[in-house]
Amino acid sequence: MNKVWIAIFTVILILAGSAYMAFYYHQSGSVILEFHARVGDKSLEFGQPLYPNPGGKGRFSIRAFQVYLSDIHLVGSKQDYQVSDSYHLARFDNETRRYRIELSDVPYDEYSDVMISIGVDEEANSSLMPRGDLDPNGRMAWSWEVGYKFLLFEGGLEQENSRLPLVYHVGFSENLKKQRFNLPKTITPGSAPIHFDVDVLALFDSHQSIDMATLPSVKFDRNDASLLAENYANLLSLSVKESHNPVEN
Amino acid sequence: MALLPQQTGQMIASVDCELMSMPKVAIIISGFAVLLLAVAIIVLQPTGPQTRPLLSFSAPFVFGHFNIPADNPLTAEGVKLGRRLFYDPLLSANNRVSCATCHLQQLAFTDGKAHSVGVSGIPLPFNSMSLANTLWGPQHFFWNGRAQSLEEQALMPIQDPNEMAQDMNELIDKLRADEVYVRLFGAAYGEISAKNIGRAIASFERTLISANSKYDQFLRGELKLNTQEERGRKLFMAHPDAKASLRGGNCIDCHSQFLTSGFNTQFDGFTNNGLEAEETLEPGLEALTGLAADRGKFKVPSLRNIALTAPYMHDGRFSSLEQVLDHYNGGIKLSSTLSPLIFEANNQQNDSTLSLNLNKEEKQALIAFLHTLTDNTFINDKRFSDPFSKQVQHNE
Ligand code: HEC
Ligand code: HEC
Repeated sequence: MNKVWIAIFTVILILAGSAYMAFYYHQSGSVILEFHARVGDKSLEFGQPLYPNPGGKGRFSIRAFQVYLSDIHLVGSKQDYQVSDSYHLARFDNETRRYRIELSDVPYDEYSDVMISIGVDEEANSSLMPRGDLDPNGRMAWSWEVGYKFLLFEGGLEQENSRLPLVYHVGFSENLKKQRFNLPKTITPGSAPIHFDVDVLALFDSHQSIDMATLPSVKFDRNDASLLAENYANLLSLSVKESHNPVEN
Repeated sequence: MALLPQQTGQMIASVDCELMSMPKVAIIISGFAVLLLAVAIIVLQPTGPQTRPLLSFSAPFVFGHFNIPADNPLTAEGVKLGRRLFYDPLLSANNRVSCATCHLQQLAFTDGKAHSVGVSGIPLPFNSMSLANTLWGPQHFFWNGRAQSLEEQALMPIQDPNEMAQDMNELIDKLRADEVYVRLFGAAYGEISAKNIGRAIASFERTLISANSKYDQFLRGELKLNTQEERGRKLFMAHPDAKASLRGGNCIDCHSQFLTSGFNTQFDGFTNNGLEAEETLEPGLEALTGLAADRGKFKVPSLRNIALTAPYMHDGRFSSLEQVLDHYNGGIKLSSTLSPLIFEANNQQNDSTLSLNLNKEEKQALIAFLHTLTDNTFINDKRFSDPFSKQVQHNE
């Protein structure tokens, strides 16, 4: 009997408290970022040679694609909201080809910009702390002397009768790319999700077009790595769908 | 220094400044509500046996996060029961085979055979697997990943006709007739059931942590590896890049740097390391997922204590580490699901052979490094040994 009363009393008090806050105060809440993968104007499919080699002959297939999105900030009218331990390993090998980040307990404000980095900041990149999705025993880790892969792409290039393995593991602190997205309309916690397009093709065909046959793998060569990083700086854009207007970045 | 690993958790930012600007009344009300809720949770908690959380449990910080299922917390009682079950041949139809028949502590919980043999005497299609550090790495068990938790896995060999061939209901009757088990199950979970057998064995297995090899001591800064071992370590940890003049054995592409196991995320810890050509590829992970892209993919095993766990690979095809290295260095067979990381890894530029092209000294260095993964503390740890053996019972 007693127990039931305590429980009921608790619930009433919590309801009263939250009603008070709802009426008299702007609430903190969650902000959702949704990333939708595609390959140029095609959908992302794994394991099939569907995509033309941007700088040469043949078609390529994708076996794995993963990328660290990090250091997410929301720029508000009164404050900057900085997500802590913000290291998110985005992958799209699910049915919806979508990766979702939910930021909970974002304080109330009108936010006009989202900042996202592609890669891992220097401090975390040289640390063994398993923060966020950083995992020194994970697929994205090189040895601790080197740090993390910021982006991993593995697949194959089919040319006439040959198959060439493709391995692009791009890292190194200098290849961290900070991006700022100005939202067409400010958002508040609890608003509809913010949608981003992730164009995997940008990795090979944006700043420079890459012939995968001449550059089938990128790992530790600093110049090659920064070439791909210049390209992946164009990986993300705000989606036009869901009534968002295209924005220049 | 063994640090207790941190549990995963999202941290909340900027909450402090938000609280400051909130009206005081709201703070007081919500504070009061939270307090009452806490009281209610404590009062309303379901009652079960009084168990003690396992205190002696620690693991190196570099092993990273792990998860223990919420419905099977590690308790001293559960682990004690699990250890007894693991070593008890009562769990088999003929009362002669226990888990430890095929998972011997002295061999880092493997059995030294290419194909394990149980109650039926018919060799199993697979090589026994080490049970060290199962808390980390892929959380899909068996070479083809068909068990999705240790709890689920534990009940499978018991009932497999070739392993322990034990009918589950019969086993529960056998256990209920045994006073010791009635007491141990009572203390750990309340009742004897298939589910609780699985829970107890899984709990014991989670405590099997190997973290005191020469490599661990090196990581803790307690000793230096010798020149050959250090060379092997560097090769293990590097994907070769002939263009950047970096020599490597590329092992770390699949065997993670500290755990040396496969990756924990989804099925990233399953891959095809080139044992078979297209025509002879075995199903592997495809048996579970039904995807042709998973054909020939097997669980990347931890290499901890690898010098003790011969023969090697899922079918025990290699009897020595030399043979394993010869496989990676020239023995790779091409197939459609072969890992591109193996396909592409070559220490020689403009060479189209499927080989790492490591030289003899480099292969020996890698083997020397693999030997630093042997953990004598682990294979002699009394907490993991047979509780039925007389010598040990004294210590309890
Ligand atoms: C007859 C020999 C035999 C017996 C008895 C046996 N095992 Fe095994 N165990 C194996 C073999 C062989 C494999 C690999 C089999 C496979 O992949 O299909 C294995 C795999 C496992 C794995 C998977 C490890 C991993 O990393 O995926 C676990 C856990 C395990 N056994 C625990 C047990 C437990 C617990 C028992 C007793 C209830 C037991 N085994 C009884 C031979 C045996
Ligand atoms: C592409 C991923 C990959 C790479 C790279 C790789 N391995 Fe493996 N390794 C595996 C897989 C998968 C298995 C299990 C294969 C099987 O049994 O079907 C395995 C098995 C082994 C085994 C046998 C383990 C056992 O318990 O039987 C040893 C030893 C081993 N690897 C050592 C190495 C070394 C040393 C290197 C570097 C030269 C290396 N591996 C590189 C994926 C890889």
